[in-house]
Amino acid sequence: MKKITIDPITRLEGHGKIEIFLTDQGDVENVYFQVPELRGFEKFCEGRPVEELSRIVTKICGVCPGCHHMAAGKAIDAVFGLAPPPTALKIRELFYMAHFIHSHIAHFYALAAPDFVVGPNADPSERNILGVIAKVGKEVGTEVIRQRRLAQEIQAMLGGHQTHVVLNIPGGVRKGLTEEQREQLIPIGKGFQKFAKFSLQLFRDVVLANSDYVNMILEGPYNLKIHSMGLVDSNNKVNFYDGMVRVVDTEGKEKYKYHAIDYRDYIAERVEPWTYLKFPYLRKIGWKGFVEGQDSGVYHATPLSRLNAADGMATPLANEAYQELFSTFGGKPVHATLAMHWARLVELLYAAERFNELIKDPEITGKELRADLKEIVGEGVGCVEAQRGTLTHHYWTDSRGMVTKVNIIVGTTNNHAAICMSLKKAAQYVIKAGIEPDQGILNQIEMAFRAYDPCFSCATHSLPGQMPLLVNFKDSDGNIIRTIQRD
Amino acid sequence: MKLVLGIGNEILTDDGIGPRLVNDLSKNCLNQNVHFACACVGGLEIIELLNGYDEAILIDAIRTKNGTPGSVYLFSPDDFRETMHLSNLHDISFLTALRLGKKLNIKLPEEIRIIAVEIIEDREFSNELTPPLNSRYPEILKEIKDYLITEQVFDNSV
Repeated sequence: MKKITIDPITRLEGHGKIEIFLTDQGDVENVYFQVPELRGFEKFCEGRPVEELSRIVTKICGVCPGCHHMAAGKAIDAVFGLAPPPTALKIRELFYMAHFIHSHIAHFYALAAPDFVVGPNADPSERNILGVIAKVGKEVGTEVIRQRRLAQEIQAMLGGHQTHVVLNIPGGVRKGLTEEQREQLIPIGKGFQKFAKFSLQLFRDVVLANSDYVNMILEGPYNLKIHSMGLVDSNNKVNFYDGMVRVVDTEGKEKYKYHAIDYRDYIAERVEPWTYLKFPYLRKIGWKGFVEGQDSGVYHATPLSRLNAADGMATPLANEAYQELFSTFGGKPVHATLAMHWARLVELLYAAERFNELIKDPEITGKELRADLKEIVGEGVGCVEAQRGTLTHHYWTDSRGMVTKVNIIVGTTNNHAAICMSLKKAAQYVIKAGIEPDQGILNQIEMAFRAYDPCFSCATHSLPGQMPLLVNFKDSDGNIIRTIQRD
Repeated sequence: MKLVLGIGNEILTDDGIGPRLVNDLSKNCLNQNVHFACACVGGLEIIELLNGYDEAILIDAIRTKNGTPGSVYLFSPDDFRETMHLSNLHDISFLTALRLGKKLNIKLPEEIRIIAVEIIEDREFSNELTPPLNSRYPEILKEIKDYLITEQVFDNSV
């Protein structure tokens, strides 16, 4: 067995790459963001019993397996023409709130907070979760780990495993919640809510109380005037698990509201020659290029877009936080990319409150867990809000329920055009002729896409277990003149 | 208590070699002091997975420049020092996770070793290893098993 130290260059092969094209004067002309694409998932699914997909899709992505499991479960219900009973729906939603809680905690404290608590230009050796803890205290760090772990354990309790979830079956869930388990979850739910409120207060204290950060959010390059998408309930309130897809325009007016099964009437996908990943856009407007504005077909599906697309949150404290966010920014919609971090915390509070509502609901321990199987319909669409955007699974089967075709629009894919545009704006803002780019500048560019919490190569994690990033600066002839890497 | 942890995605061709090896190794170990587990991501989750163990061996896939498929490498976490302090897109890096655990007084293994197998394909969904790796799989398994016996991780191997 060989002992080696890896040459850092080798870790970058095939991984995230930003290509920045400069003019002869040294200003940014264009930016291309390229990520590896996983291949063959649709083919991998074909020929399998459709009920297997809810278990297989959790392996597409180690970051948001619960989202794929939920979208698949809903699509499979539709393939079998089944409506799960109320208890099953509530158990699914309870699981899903725990999934959101663990993911939003991890993103805010591990990825977003370092830029604000430690500083966007801080030394990379300090600009991480350890730097955050050094500033806010070990007790907070311990609580981050604890709350995240509890949310993971609840997913394992309900779903059999926190990653490889086996909760959903056609028309319901495989097992229910006992009264003893429900009682265990009551104090945990209170803890989630307390921690979500604490996190929002931390954001107020660290970010909103700092005029430099507020200016950076409002006045810097991190603004993108595009349309907003999100699932809403019957009262047009944010809903993660179910509802209709609502799109509001750049002025905040409802543009479309449709059932997920009709998604192809509203969403089309564009292919560009320089990337494998597609660019979804609003079909009825059409693809007008990577441009902002009311006439553009570009939209985003993020925590902020969900808030923009809704009329409020369905729980009281989260709704107060929702109102505070929009009043701070002067009304709806908000186009400040970095406000996604605040929106994520509003959603964290909503998830905690909704968790507590569900755990107090007498039906949560009901015994009717699944609908009886009927005839196979042969086609089904399942749509949920993933942490990273609206997630749609569409399955087709033959009369025996064997999969013949699969189409998936992943949360982050919705945001591909928006991410590319945000990167370009940030790069144009921070890269100036005559100024040597450094890690601080690289981080300010990265902040533009980190806000989206993107999940491109999530299933690929061969050592070193993270996604390195390579930034190439090219002159007007396409020659690489400088490279910065973040391993 | 020792942990042997396979990291990888079992339906992503060669990426799943870590979990596959751990599954096969678990069939060859009678030592009650060794736990076998699999995971598909690192980051914050790794702290919880390693919590409470005295010693851990992680088995993962790797791609290096001009590497020979099936080659088996041994690292210590210090070999990844150059990735320390740096965030990734979705989560913190492995070493940052270890440092975080220590900072928060979470009991993490005193010794962590990382065994990595050089792979070919980790972008295409498949239950099968690529043919070159598949043909070498028995000797890869043997090499790792022999190492674990030599290092007395497996006291009572069959």
